Amino acid sequence: MNVQHHLTDETIQDYAAGSLTASMETLVACHLTVCNQCRHKAMLAENVGGSLFDDMEPAAVAGSAMDLLARAAMMPEHSAPSSPASKPAFKGVPLPLARQLPADLDDLDWRRIAPGIKQFNLSSQHRKHGAFQLLHLDPGVVLSAHSHNDRELTYLVQGSYTDEIGQFKAGDIADLDGHDQTHQPVVDSKEPCIALIATQSPVNYSGVFSKIMQPFVGI
Amino acid sequence: MNTLVAEPAKKREGAQPDKKTEASLALRKRMGDNLVAIGLHRDEAAFADVYSYYSGRVKSFLMGKGMNDEIAEELTQEIMLTVWRRSISYDPKKAAASTWLFTIARNRRIDYLRGNSRIEVELDDEMLDVETTESDPQAKFVSDAQSAKQLERALEKLPQEQRQVMHLSYFRGQSHGAIAKWLDLPIGTVKSRIRLAMQAVRSSLLSEDESLHDNSTESS
Ligand SMILES: [Zn+2]
Repeated sequence: MNVQHHLTDETIQDYAAGSLTASMETLVACHLTVCNQCRHKAMLAENVGGSLFDDMEPAAVAGSAMDLLARAAMMPEHSAPSSPASKPAFKGVPLPLARQLPADLDDLDWRRIAPGIKQFNLSSQHRKHGAFQLLHLDPGVVLSAHSHNDRELTYLVQGSYTDEIGQFKAGDIADLDGHDQTHQPVVDSKEPCIALIATQSPVNYSGVFSKIMQPFVGI
Repeated sequence: MNTLVAEPAKKREGAQPDKKTEASLALRKRMGDNLVAIGLHRDEAAFADVYSYYSGRVKSFLMGKGMNDEIAEELTQEIMLTVWRRSISYDPKKAAASTWLFTIARNRRIDYLRGNSRIEVELDDEMLDVETTESDPQAKFVSDAQSAKQLERALEKLPQEQRQVMHLSYFRGQSHGAIAKWLDLPIGTVKSRIRLAMQAVRSSLLSEDESLHDNSTESS
């Protein structure tokens, strides 16, 4: 896959840190599947996390290694969680997304929301937690100009569109992050353009750090 | 070939590793050896060493990310039990012990909070892009002792403000926005520090890669 538009370093780092929502993770994992350049960056970001892990100030732990081993000896070891048995094979759909689809792209229960535009919602959550959906755009469709306030990721599943930033094809990511710039995508592929979109609304930050903000070493 | 213990035959000029780097590399090797020993012979002494080094860090990570003491303690014990039982799957050629531990703790926390697993690339995905893996210089850094040293040094050299933001992102804040709020900085500043740190680490690995090329031997 000839990928032209990649994830930003910040998004890759956020993914490695485990700070993204499940929907954002899905988009990132889709792109990492088809782009080994970003996949290697993600591996590096995990290694950075591992290296920095050593610098952490340890917390006091109540249990001991020997207690744990004694407990382990008495606890049955349930078999390793095997990867989901059936592997969906939807053409052109990376597994991180395919596993969340009830059917092939053609057979989804698309909902028409405007002329030439259909939508399939992937999240049962309330919209305030951020949107997670597939958009199905007919060839030639022009979306109305809009900008994004929230964090938004788009992964192109099939087809292509062009906007002010460039042309986006299958495998590409549009990693828009609080860009105020307005963009107006135009579908320019012969086949319908299908895009996976996730937005992450700002979470409520209050109390996140509360009193657990301990001194840490090395920084 | 055991890439982790393979030291380059000659020290390169200007490569004067400071004590901290040497110490962390020695520790990296000891912990990697421990995990292998646990995996191979259920070595209890090796586990005790791993436990005493990592359990406090795992718990600190969980609490730093917002868990209370009780839940963090419980999850820490579960994570260390996973280490005991799954060390057989640890491959020292693929990751440092700390990276392995960090990803287990990260994923377990996500499991706990979300009730479903972290979503990751599946390496047997038919769509997996593998074309250039062999020739990509970035592909070998993880498995290479020299690269581990370069990574340590690159992190040491980061400006304090970048290190701080990286540390917060991995182990404290829930998001870049939360970090911005905590440090009272615009979110754009937090993001640019993370970007700069990632670029610095990457370029330090890539720039030294060519000069090291004759030292590297590929195995598969
Ligand atoms: Zn990419």
